[in-house]
Amino acid sequence: MAKEIGADRLGDFYTNGKVRKRREWRGLADTMYDYKCWLGIMGTLAGFVIKPRNIKAMFRYRWMANYLAVPMMVDRHTQGLRGEYLRICHTEQDLIIKDVAKLLDNLFRGDRRIGNDTEFSKKVVLVDENEMTAVMMGFPTLKGLSRETPSTYVSVLLNQTAALHYIDVAQEFGLAGDVCPMPEAEAGVSIDDDAPVLGACAIQCNTTCDGSLMGNGVISKRLELEDGIPCFQLAAPLRHREEDVQEYAAQEIRNAIAFVEEHTGEKWDWKYYFECAKRVNISTKYRQEWLDMNKTDYPQVFGSNLALYTETNYMAICGKVPEFVEADRTIARLAEQAYAKKKRMAKEYRHRAIVWGVQSHYYMDFLLWLLNCWGIVPLTDMLSMVSTKVLAEEDTPENREQAIYDMAWLTENMIMRNRTHGGYKVLLDELWEFCEEFNADMVILWEHMSCKALDGMHGQFEEKARQLGIHLVWVTHDLFDPRIVTRQGVRDQVNRYMRSVMREEPIDPTLEVIHDENSW
Amino acid sequence: MKDLKYLYDFERLLQEANNDLVRQAQAEGKYCAAYTCENVPEPLLNLPGVFSARLRAPRTGSMEMGTYYMTSFLCEYSRALLERAIEGGFNFADCVFTPDGCSMMNRCVENMELLKTMEKEHFFYSYMEIPMKADDNGLNLYVLQCKNHILTPLREHFGIDVSDAAIRKAVEEHNHLCRLIREIGEYRKEENPRITGYEYHIINLISYAAPKYLLIPMLEETLKELETRQPDPKPKFRARVVLVGSEVDDIDMVKLIEESGAYVCADRFCYGSFPGRDPIELTDDEDALTQICRQYMNRAQCPRYMNMPKMLGRRAYVNQLAMDYKADGIIYEQVKFCDPWAYERMVGTQVLRDEYGYPVLSVDRPYAVGSSGQLRTRVQAFVESMEIKKIQGGAVHG
Repeated sequence: MAKEIGADRLGDFYTNGKVRKRREWRGLADTMYDYKCWLGIMGTLAGFVIKPRNIKAMFRYRWMANYLAVPMMVDRHTQGLRGEYLRICHTEQDLIIKDVAKLLDNLFRGDRRIGNDTEFSKKVVLVDENEMTAVMMGFPTLKGLSRETPSTYVSVLLNQTAALHYIDVAQEFGLAGDVCPMPEAEAGVSIDDDAPVLGACAIQCNTTCDGSLMGNGVISKRLELEDGIPCFQLAAPLRHREEDVQEYAAQEIRNAIAFVEEHTGEKWDWKYYFECAKRVNISTKYRQEWLDMNKTDYPQVFGSNLALYTETNYMAICGKVPEFVEADRTIARLAEQAYAKKKRMAKEYRHRAIVWGVQSHYYMDFLLWLLNCWGIVPLTDMLSMVSTKVLAEEDTPENREQAIYDMAWLTENMIMRNRTHGGYKVLLDELWEFCEEFNADMVILWEHMSCKALDGMHGQFEEKARQLGIHLVWVTHDLFDPRIVTRQGVRDQVNRYMRSVMREEPIDPTLEVIHDENSW
Repeated sequence: MKDLKYLYDFERLLQEANNDLVRQAQAEGKYCAAYTCENVPEPLLNLPGVFSARLRAPRTGSMEMGTYYMTSFLCEYSRALLERAIEGGFNFADCVFTPDGCSMMNRCVENMELLKTMEKEHFFYSYMEIPMKADDNGLNLYVLQCKNHILTPLREHFGIDVSDAAIRKAVEEHNHLCRLIREIGEYRKEENPRITGYEYHIINLISYAAPKYLLIPMLEETLKELETRQPDPKPKFRARVVLVGSEVDDIDMVKLIEESGAYVCADRFCYGSFPGRDPIELTDDEDALTQICRQYMNRAQCPRYMNMPKMLGRRAYVNQLAMDYKADGIIYEQVKFCDPWAYERMVGTQVLRDEYGYPVLSVDRPYAVGSSGQLRTRVQAFVESMEIKKIQGGAVHG
C-alpha cells in the first residue's frame, strides 16, 4: 500500500474468485486519478445500459454478460502502475472501452432483433474482427461495424472463458478441434445464430490465416443465404512483400469500394479519405517515436497496452476517429515527460525482451506480469510491429491512384498477417533484427499452438536463438481456450525458465503462483 | 477379376518419390520440377526438357525431425515431406514450385530451404501467390505469377523453351494423359465395375508422380485391357461412395474403404482426378497460358477459394459427381490438422446431408492410414447404415 512503484505485493490481491480482493492504493494523487477513471468507465457503461434496446441485447446475446467485467479488465492492465504509466494506460484503455461501447450501441441500433432501425442499418457495412478497415476511409456517412469484435475478441479479453461455449458449438457442428479457436469461436457464434443481424452489405477478408479465411465461409453462408446480406470477399495477397502482387491487391480494393457503393448508394469521398490518411500518418509517427524510445534504457510505452491500443488504432480505427489522434498526443506527452525524468514502470528491469508470436487473448495482461514478477521488460511485441509506411495525404490526381495502393498495402499488412504470412523473412529474420535494434537479450515467444503459420517455424526459432545467444522462452497457449493451457500454465513456463535456466528469483514472489483460474 | 498388367508396376513406382520413371527421365536429360500443390498448373512444369513430380513421402514412418521443426500441430503431410527432405529423399529434384496455398505446406518448403536440404547446385525454390477468388483480377494474378515464378525461372535456370507453342505442346500431352485417365474412370459408373476404386486411385496417383510421356503407353495399354476385362460375377461392394477431402497419398486409404465394403466410385480430393484430370481445352484466339490459368482457376475445388459462388459450387460439384457416378453416400475426409479441409469438411458434411440428402461420413485421418482399425470401423458402420437405409426402403438420397 504505497505510492512507490513496486511497493505492493501484487499477488496478494488475488482471491480464488472472479475479482481481486480490493483495489490498489497508489498514493493519493494516483488513486484519485484511477478512481476518477473508474467512475468514467462506470459512466460509459451506465450510458450504454440506460438505453432499453441495449438491455434487451444483454438478454438476447449470451456474450453480452462478459461486459460486466469491463472494470476488472482495466484493473488487470493497471496493476502496479503509477504516475505517467497509469495515465498512459487509462488513456489507451478508456478510449478503447468508449469505442467498443459505441460499436455495441450501433450494432444493437441496427440489429433486426433489437433496435431494428432499418434506415440506420442501410448505412452499415459489416467488417471482420481482424480486418484492416482501410476501405471504409472514404465513406464518412457509413458505419463499418464488426460483429466479431464484441462477440468474441473483446469478450475473451474481458472474461477468459467467454469463447468456450462457441468453441464447443463449432466442434459439436463437426469442426475439428485443432483449428485456431478465434475463427472457430467466430464460426460458433454464427452457427449459434448469436450475432446481431444488420447492414447493407459485408466486407470479409482473408485476414490472418487459413482458419480465419475458412471461418468466414461459415459466417458468409448465414449472412448471405439466410440474412440476405451480400458479402464481398476481399482477397489480400499473402506474399505481401512481393512487387508483383501489388496490382492485384489494389484491384481488390477498387472492387471492394465499388461493391460498397453499389450496395449502399454512397459515393467514395476523397476529401474524407485524405483526412483519415493524415490521421493514420500522425498515429504512425507517434507509434514510431514510442518504439524509438523503447530502444533506449528508458522505454515508456510498451506491454499489453501498446499491443491492444495499436491493434485498435491501426486496424479498426484506421484514421476514422479523431479522438485516437488526441489520445496519441496525450500518450506521447506523458511518455516524453517520463522519459525526461528517466522514469521506469517497475522497480527493477532485468531483461529486455521482444515479445513475438500471437498473444494469448485470455491472458492479455501477461506482459505486465512479466515485468512485475520477473523484471522482464516487453519492449515491443509482434502485433505492434506493423507498417510504418507514410500514406499519401494530399488530394491530387496522382495521390488518388497512390491511395488505392496505400489502402491495399495496409490491408495486406494487417496486424498478425504481416508477420505470419509473406515468407519466413518477416517472421523469422526480422525478429533477430528487432532484437539487435532494441538491444534485447530475451525473446518471449508466444506459441499459439493452433497457429500453423507460427508453429511451422518452431525449430528455426530455436536454432537461430541458440546461434545468436538470445534467451528464447516458449510460452504455449491456445489463444481463446484456457482449458488447454491455463493462465498459471502460461506463467509456469516462464517461471521454470527463469528459475532453472536463468537461476533467478522473482522480484515479486507473490506473483509466481496466482490462483486466478476462476477469475474473469 | 484378373489383375491389371501394370498395377503391380504402378504400386511399386508409388513406393518411392524418386521412382524408376523419374530416374529414367532424368537420365534422358530432363529436369525434374517438383511441386507441392494442385493449384500449380501442371502443363507448365511439363514443357519440353522438364517434367513434373508432386512431392510425396511414401512409406512414411517416423516424423520426429519434421515434428521438431514444425511441431505436432502441422498436418502430417507437410511434416512427412519435410522429414523426407531432411533425409535426402528429394535430392533428385532440380527445383520446387510452391504456392502460398496453405500455410503448412508453405512452411514445410521454407524449412526445406532454410535447412538446405536440397543438394543440387542449380536447385532453386520458387514461391508464388495464387488467387483466392475466381474472377478477372484473380486471373491476371495467376497469369503474372505463373510467368514470373514458373516460366521465367525455368527459362533462366534451365534454358527451357517457354513459348506459346511449347506450352501448347505440353497441354497436348497433358490432355492425352487426362483423357486416358478419364476413360478408365468411366468404367466406375458401371453397376458392377470392371475396375476397383483402389486400382483407379493407383493409376491416377502415379500420373502425378512420374513423367507423363513415360506413363502414357502404359495407360493406353491399361485402357485397352479394361475394354475386355471381366468383372467378378457378383459385386463385392455393398455401397458406392464419393471420397471428398484433402489429398490421399496413402494407397492403403482407398483400399481400406473398399475392404470395408464401400466402392469408391469418384475421387474429389486434392490431386484426385476430379477436377485434376479434366483436359484443358485451348483455342487459338488467346495465349495458352491465360487459358490454362483460367481453366485451373474456374475448375478448382480447393477450399481456399473464398468467394460465394466457389463455396457453393464445391458442394454442388460433389452432388453432381454423386449423381453421375451413382453414389449412395459421401465420405468427407481430411488429413488431421488441415485447416482448409477442417472447415470445408464441416460445412460440406452438413450441406450434403441436409440440403442434398446424402448419408455422409465425416472423418479426420493421419497421413499414413495403414491399417487403422478406427477408420475401418467407421467405414464399416457407415456402409451398414446405408444398407439398412436401403433395406428399410428409405430413399438413397434422403
